Amino acid sequence: MKKFINQFLKGIIRENPTFVLALGLCPTLAVSVSVINGIGMGIAATFVLLGSNVIIALIKNKIPERVRIPCYIVVIATFVTITELTMKAYSPALNRALGIYVPLIVVNCIVLGRAEAYASKASVVNSFFDGLGMGVGFTLALILISAIREFLGAGKILGFTPIKSFEPAFVLAMPSGALLLIGLLLGFFNLIKREK
Amino acid sequence: MQNQNNLVVSVSPHLHKDESVSKIMWMVVISLIPAGAAGVFIFGLTALWAIILGVVTALLTEAVLQVLTKRKVTILDGSAFITGLLLAYNLPSRVPFWLPVIGAIFSIAIGKQVFGGLGQNIFNPALVGRVFLLACWPKYMTAYIAPLRYDAVTQATPLAALKEGKLIEKIATLDLFLGKRGGCIGEVCILALLLGAAFLLIRGYISWHIPITYIFTTGVFTYIFGGKGLFAGDWLFHILTGGLVLGAFFMATDYVTSPLTRKGQIIFGIGCGLITSVIRLWGGYPEGASYAILMMNAATPFIDRYTKSRVYGLK
Amino acid sequence: MDVTQFLTIFISAVFIYNVILSRFLGLCSFIAISKETRPALAMSLAVMFVTTMSSIITWFIYRFLLIPYNLTYLRTISFILVIATFVQFVEMVIRKISPPLYRFFGIYLPLITVNCAVLGVAVLNSEMFFANNKAVAGSFFYSTFQGICVGLGYTLAMLLMSGIRERLELCNIPKAVKDFPLAFIIASIMSLSFMGFNGFKF
Repeated sequence: MKKFINQFLKGIIRENPTFVLALGLCPTLAVSVSVINGIGMGIAATFVLLGSNVIIALIKNKIPERVRIPCYIVVIATFVTITELTMKAYSPALNRALGIYVPLIVVNCIVLGRAEAYASKASVVNSFFDGLGMGVGFTLALILISAIREFLGAGKILGFTPIKSFEPAFVLAMPSGALLLIGLLLGFFNLIKREK
Repeated sequence: MQNQNNLVVSVSPHLHKDESVSKIMWMVVISLIPAGAAGVFIFGLTALWAIILGVVTALLTEAVLQVLTKRKVTILDGSAFITGLLLAYNLPSRVPFWLPVIGAIFSIAIGKQVFGGLGQNIFNPALVGRVFLLACWPKYMTAYIAPLRYDAVTQATPLAALKEGKLIEKIATLDLFLGKRGGCIGEVCILALLLGAAFLLIRGYISWHIPITYIFTTGVFTYIFGGKGLFAGDWLFHILTGGLVLGAFFMATDYVTSPLTRKGQIIFGIGCGLITSVIRLWGGYPEGASYAILMMNAATPFIDRYTKSRVYGLK
Repeated sequence: MDVTQFLTIFISAVFIYNVILSRFLGLCSFIAISKETRPALAMSLAVMFVTTMSSIITWFIYRFLLIPYNLTYLRTISFILVIATFVQFVEMVIRKISPPLYRFFGIYLPLITVNCAVLGVAVLNSEMFFANNKAVAGSFFYSTFQGICVGLGYTLAMLLMSGIRERLELCNIPKAVKDFPLAFIIASIMSLSFMGFNGFKF
């Protein structure tokens, strides 16, 4: 059991997909304008990760080597489509907010990366916890970035404006600010890693 | 035997000693004083405050960052002073105190030190700060004060008025030239700017290639496309308004962020002119000089690569 | 069909909503491959070719297969399969025609399949140039042109960035920001300066 917990925690800190592996940055930057969006995307991506990791681990022995990437893509695309349709039906506002980045989960480097690097070689249970850890790590990174961007860039937290006289720096809500923030955060985490 | 490919020999100006780099910086500071003095005279003491805050913050930020990264503290070389000064010159005259402070910190930290300091930055630090401030707090960055009134009555810049279609009466060219108009602290008094620019040109600290091609290109483009029908544009108006003169002579000419060769500099000037004109005529913003120069800064490594003169002895 | 619409698509795709600096599509390859100019140029040209062709092919599939048979929910799956197949096909052709070119591209070619920009522009086309499950007038030409322009925007950002990063190789960068963090900060400043074209109206 301890092994599984380790597997799970690995995805959150030591091999955090966003800050350590630098994967899946496209949706991270695009979607992290508000915490709600960040959480929504995180949950969607986690669901897809779990589904694809498990299925791929199950059928890994049946897939011929040469066509493995297209096969992974079909599996992932199926789960993404399920997510897309569910979101359209039950949460259309979130779907509109996330826009094209929902179908783009299919090419999210994290999902395909874990399938190729892990699920194709490990057991089903291990793959499940790996997917869970990576998904949660991704979601936490999204929450961190969106919280900073939402507060400093729009003066809001979860949609509410706590301090009325605060002058938000609009650039953080823009693509430029997102790139800047990621650059500074990556630099910051580098600094911490080197201090250790 | 050292790898010859790592040695980049460029055309002059060669800067031989550290002192002469510093001396040139301070000469540029001196050449900028008339423009600042004119700005303070036209807009009042709030402008002076912005200038002081900008310069002091720039110097402090550079000192702190250099100490933290264990590098030599070089704030006396004049480059941080110039950045703070130019940033302030690009601000409206009445801004909350924290605006030049945050701008200067951003200019020095992100525009310069993160690249490793003087000589290594790609983008003009003052413009990086200005564009950042404009994106963050557009409300404060576009509230210009009426000239020679020393109160808080606002007046749009000539270019802003033009873009909104509110420029009903033509502003006298002499007013534009002397600075009797809304605008940023250091950009309005063309006379003062030209005095400083003449000083730099005569002493050979900057060359005419970039500023003249920049201004000329802007003039030609706005003449051809800037009016109703072709060849009817008010090119003199466009040359005298906005931050064109300030940008062309003092920011586009920054050694570190502009091309090394004469040919490259001409390309740089033309590029800046084209982009500035396009933004002014058809873009959403009234003025495009800052964006134009930054975009051409990004292209400078490329321009340098393809206009490098051949070194004797290498293939 | 409107000529100014083409100009708008061009300015939007290349400058204002630049696929990398504004829409964040293709970031992974952008940060990873923009360190040197030659690979950057190779990747850009390959991406431009794939975005253009896949814009065309996915348009046909959407217009003549998915919409008439009410299968639009299969958009994601069908688009990505098309792209993956097409990239595989291109790889085979290049390998046959010009082995040196194939070696030059190396692993970059298969990587295009997962380049967000390719799937992204296909999805964008289906959203922008179709309304109520019908193609707008000129939809095919707008879609193809947008595919080309997205490729151009990608190339512009890649080339500028590679020129900058090559120059910075000779510099003494603070260790904490070396490579990735600085690349993002440069991208941020580039994104900020491209914003100058906002509100473009011809």
